[in-house]
Amino acid sequence: MSVITTKNLSKEFSSGKFSKEKIQALNNFTFEVEGGEIFGLLGPNGAGKTTLIKILLGITFPTSGEIQIFGKNISDESYKTKVGYLPESHKFPNYFNGEEVLHFFGMLSGISKAEVKKKTDEYLKLVDMEKWRKTKIRKYSKGMLQRLGLAQSMLNNPDIIFLDEPTDGVDPIGRKEIRDILIRLKEEGKTIFLNSHLLSEVELVCDRVAILNKGVLIKSGRVDEITAVSDNYIFNTTEIDESVMHSLLSVYKSIIKSKHEFYYSTDSPEDLNKLIDFLRQNKVLILSITREKNSLEDLFINLIGSRN
Amino acid sequence: MIFSTLILNTFREAAAKKIFLGFFAISTIIILVFLFLINVDSVDGMVDMMESSGEEGVKNLVIGFEVAMINISYLLVITFCFISVSSFIPSMLEKGNIDLLLSKPVSRSKILIAKFTGGVLLIFISLTYLIGFVWLILSIKSGFWHIPFLYTIFWLTLSFAIIYSLIIFIGLISQSTILSILISLFLVFIVCPVLYVREATIFTFVSNTAVQFIINFFYYILPKTTDINQITTDIITGKKVESYMPVISSVLFMLVTLSASIFYFRKKDY
Repeated sequence: MSVITTKNLSKEFSSGKFSKEKIQALNNFTFEVEGGEIFGLLGPNGAGKTTLIKILLGITFPTSGEIQIFGKNISDESYKTKVGYLPESHKFPNYFNGEEVLHFFGMLSGISKAEVKKKTDEYLKLVDMEKWRKTKIRKYSKGMLQRLGLAQSMLNNPDIIFLDEPTDGVDPIGRKEIRDILIRLKEEGKTIFLNSHLLSEVELVCDRVAILNKGVLIKSGRVDEITAVSDNYIFNTTEIDESVMHSLLSVYKSIIKSKHEFYYSTDSPEDLNKLIDFLRQNKVLILSITREKNSLEDLFINLIGSRN
Repeated sequence: MIFSTLILNTFREAAAKKIFLGFFAISTIIILVFLFLINVDSVDGMVDMMESSGEEGVKNLVIGFEVAMINISYLLVITFCFISVSSFIPSMLEKGNIDLLLSKPVSRSKILIAKFTGGVLLIFISLTYLIGFVWLILSIKSGFWHIPFLYTIFWLTLSFAIIYSLIIFIGLISQSTILSILISLFLVFIVCPVLYVREATIFTFVSNTAVQFIINFFYYILPKTTDINQITTDIITGKKVESYMPVISSVLFMLVTLSASIFYFRKKDY
């Protein structure tokens, strides 16, 4: 079931306060996010990613188009009780300590005081910030603020969590911990909307991604599907003798890497199975067949590079 | 619950800015000075002298102190409070802070009204502390319990609220603390006093009716804190207040400015 749906969403900004020139931040953006998935939004700087999140959260208003969250129009603000958000470069009031930040934003989320207290204890422990709970946040490092921000975004037990660059400024161990938290949240049935520049990270945790460039959706789909190269297979086998190798080269047009490894290109499942039959007939044991993949980064650079 | 959380946060912000601590410190000094004064011999002598001239003499002495107190409080409110609250809106609108605030299930109108209410309550408490203690000291010393002096708390809070609505509006549009302070101080210290005495001063030099009309136009549409201060003094001194028009039009100004702020805030992209 879709929890976020947009249809022909567009947003125009004026380039300056008194300028008539318009900047198209989003252009007829149509997409859906399914419940319980981790959805990654990718794109270069200025692609419109943060604008999209802000529109979905009612912080910025669209110029045109339709948005539904939990099947309701977002003009009904009640959906925000089921939403968590960690903005990019968030700025908590610096007169608070960690615990007070969670208390303040928890109360604003509409949950009871007792619930806020319970969740504060639980989530400060989860993000490993318990011992800093009484420290003023102006003394926190960037990574600590991110951890606190993540705890804040989960406090109201939301069904959707929007995370804008959640691992920004976090060390590698902290990033791994945040990834683990995201996976845990997904297992709990939460939907996570992730905006990140770290493509390798997105690839590790996201189920589906959308790639945005200059406000236009240029690619979307399941991570394993969009990174898969449709017709390239890597075969690992027991040792291949000369005659079989000759057939692989001449009949199947394979690329031989070694006596144990070769590449075969086809978009036909029948041809692939014929090759497998051929190998079996010739007593070659297949150890693995892997569909060759591009990394998300390769795909991203190819897509964005070709369009720019 | 959400509304009170927002108001309490305004208090926290004010406390963090230290300037309100300055306000409390100065108020405490004034209260201590009053406490000291009522125990010095010369004041005792003055009270004795006034008592000998009858109850009216004591009343006049107390009222004289109270009028002086109104002017001190008025200056304190303007100097400390305006400077402090002027940064409330621009700091709320800072990137990274406003995003988070608007992502919560709180309407934009409620956020703004809570900011306004929080600021006004803060000034009300501060003034209650200052005026209340001075009133108590004067009353105990003189035996003259002059209740109308306590109304000053309400009138000064109202003056503050009127200008604060403008500070919010400027803060929302410009997102600049400095501009909010400059415009509000310019209005309170220059525009309001000048317009208040327009008939006695400006119109004696300017006979052109069109110019007079324009000046009058500005007088009627702009807030009239000087007039309100004068009305407060009149109430305390027992003079008849000739017209409450300055209060009514200033309150209308406040309501219009607040409504415009809410309208702007609800439509603005952040």
